[in-house]
Amino acid sequence: MTSEAVDRDEGSHETALMIEAEGLVKVFRDFWRRPKVRAVDGIDFNVGSGEIVGLLGPNGSGKSTTIKMLLGLLFPSAGSIRVLGESPQDVTAKQRIGYLPEISDLYSFLTPRETLDFYGRLFGLKRKIRRSRIEQLLEMVGLTHAADRQVGEFSMGMKRRVGLAQALVNDPLLLILDEPTAGLDPPACRQVKDTMLAMVRRGKSIVLSSHLLADVESVCDRLVILHNGRIRAQGSVKDLLTQSDRLSVTIPVLPPEKMKALLHALRDHIGEEPQIEHPSMDLERFFLDVIEHAGDSPLTGAGHHEGIARYLDGTE
Amino acid sequence: MVAFNQLLTLTRLTAVEAIRQPIFLLLTNACIVLTAVMPMVLLHQFGEEGKLARDSGLAFHFLFGLFVASYAACSSLAREIGSGTASAVLSKPVSRSGFLISKFLGLGLVIFAFSACACMSTLMSERVAERLAVTSNAGGYVIDWQTGWLLVCAPFAAMGVAGLLNYYRRQPFVSTAFLVLIVLLLIVFGVSGWFDRSGNLSSFDLRVQWRIIPASILITLALIVLCAIALSLSARLGTFATLVCCFGIFVLGLLSDYWFGGTGERSAVSGLLYALIPNWQHFWRADALAAGGLIPWSYVGRALVYAGTYSAATLVLGLLSFRTADIR
Repeated sequence: MTSEAVDRDEGSHETALMIEAEGLVKVFRDFWRRPKVRAVDGIDFNVGSGEIVGLLGPNGSGKSTTIKMLLGLLFPSAGSIRVLGESPQDVTAKQRIGYLPEISDLYSFLTPRETLDFYGRLFGLKRKIRRSRIEQLLEMVGLTHAADRQVGEFSMGMKRRVGLAQALVNDPLLLILDEPTAGLDPPACRQVKDTMLAMVRRGKSIVLSSHLLADVESVCDRLVILHNGRIRAQGSVKDLLTQSDRLSVTIPVLPPEKMKALLHALRDHIGEEPQIEHPSMDLERFFLDVIEHAGDSPLTGAGHHEGIARYLDGTE
Repeated sequence: MVAFNQLLTLTRLTAVEAIRQPIFLLLTNACIVLTAVMPMVLLHQFGEEGKLARDSGLAFHFLFGLFVASYAACSSLAREIGSGTASAVLSKPVSRSGFLISKFLGLGLVIFAFSACACMSTLMSERVAERLAVTSNAGGYVIDWQTGWLLVCAPFAAMGVAGLLNYYRRQPFVSTAFLVLIVLLLIVFGVSGWFDRSGNLSSFDLRVQWRIIPASILITLALIVLCAIALSLSARLGTFATLVCCFGIFVLGLLSDYWFGGTGERSAVSGLLYALIPNWQHFWRADALAAGGLIPWSYVGRALVYAGTYSAATLVLGLLSFRTADIR
């Protein structure tokens, strides 16, 4: 777990449950109504206010099915779900939910600006607010220069950014992201994570489904690990990943004779050879540093990623 | 109020998405060009030129309209459900009933726009048709080439203008071409009124057979019924299955009188099927226009009630099905 998640973990406090799922089962049936596959098999989990919960699991483990049940798109075969205290079928609860689907298949003949305007209208946002948010979001996802091109012409990564922007247009209280970083370049991935962290600082909750374990580890407070439709592990990232019987100590590089004495003393006390290594920067941080020092030239055809939209980090 | 605004937003989006699809422009242009060309290539039809042009225009309206209605309905719902676009929309505060109804309204607008183009083309095509003209000096057949060529050129000119607008102002090509086409058809319609049948300037007189309009309205109603059926089926079936079912219902509806509606004694099953399957013959009244005949507006009114009731009932069934459907 990175320092970002740890910092929040220390100060986190659950106030209200955003999601309550109990005994959730989903059985898909064939044309003759015979059970075909049991995609989700009796899972229980909660998401509290102001936390990021990661849903992890291999393909076909039931992550997307669970998410679609949370959104009222799929009907559970058994069990109960409350989202923001309401049934997932309740339209009013959806007013405060943002959702990025796994596949961002948007209306291909609309431009990003038209797409965001469309979703903004669905939330009943007033024109002035809508326009302001659209411009901020386009800037944030680096699509201002392509705002009037049809989405059908875009690469997968660019579509994904439009998808992310539409999920944020209503400044949601609960954000559900299905593979949010799939197809994105590292700066965009970093920005997605920064956006999540900024939102959580404002008390929002996030459910994140991803295959990218490093992404999940770096931002999530809690993990739910699914396999074959069942929860195999669940808990805070810290509890799940910490090796409580081991300890690492980071110290400055010492002169050889001091180092030798220190190792000798350690060996005497612990009775085994201590492991010595230089701590390394994670690849994402290194890559972003390289890009930052490379100057102002655009990284991709999709354009620059600006900071987080002002209305999302609470500075507006 | 919010629900109403949502309905408007979704209706508008459905219409915009449909008219931005290249297939829509292709079908509309094909319908207009074929309707326009028909009276110019048919020769020596023993005085039946006007009827042939009119019947062909209405038939093209029906045929291409069937493709427009069924394809647009399938791509609007079945494809959106299959591709995940619908799940993104339905994860917003949008009710499933509002979603389906707005799809129907949006496609209804598109069908209406298509039908307006087809109707104008048929009106002008019938005017173009060769007629026996007898003057004090001579008698013979004349054809209104000016109107004919203007009508044929309208779709190409519309695409040319849309191409320029796309190049210079980045306007979306297909929808712009369609909007320009409507304007050009209206211009051609107006300009043709200043020419007589021999192509000479004359006082303004459109000389069109306005009695074609009720026949066109009936066809439009049939297309709207088919659209409602296709949408309702799309709530559960995929694109291909929906198209196959629509084709089956269309064929059954065409032969409904013959198979289920005989004048003799009918079985209960035949009676039920006759009542359930939409009878397209009610909407095809081209024969009534022969020999100067008219379609009474009272008949159009009854057909409107029938189409409205049938579409509403179909949509209610579709809605009941859609409300419990899993959106994957």
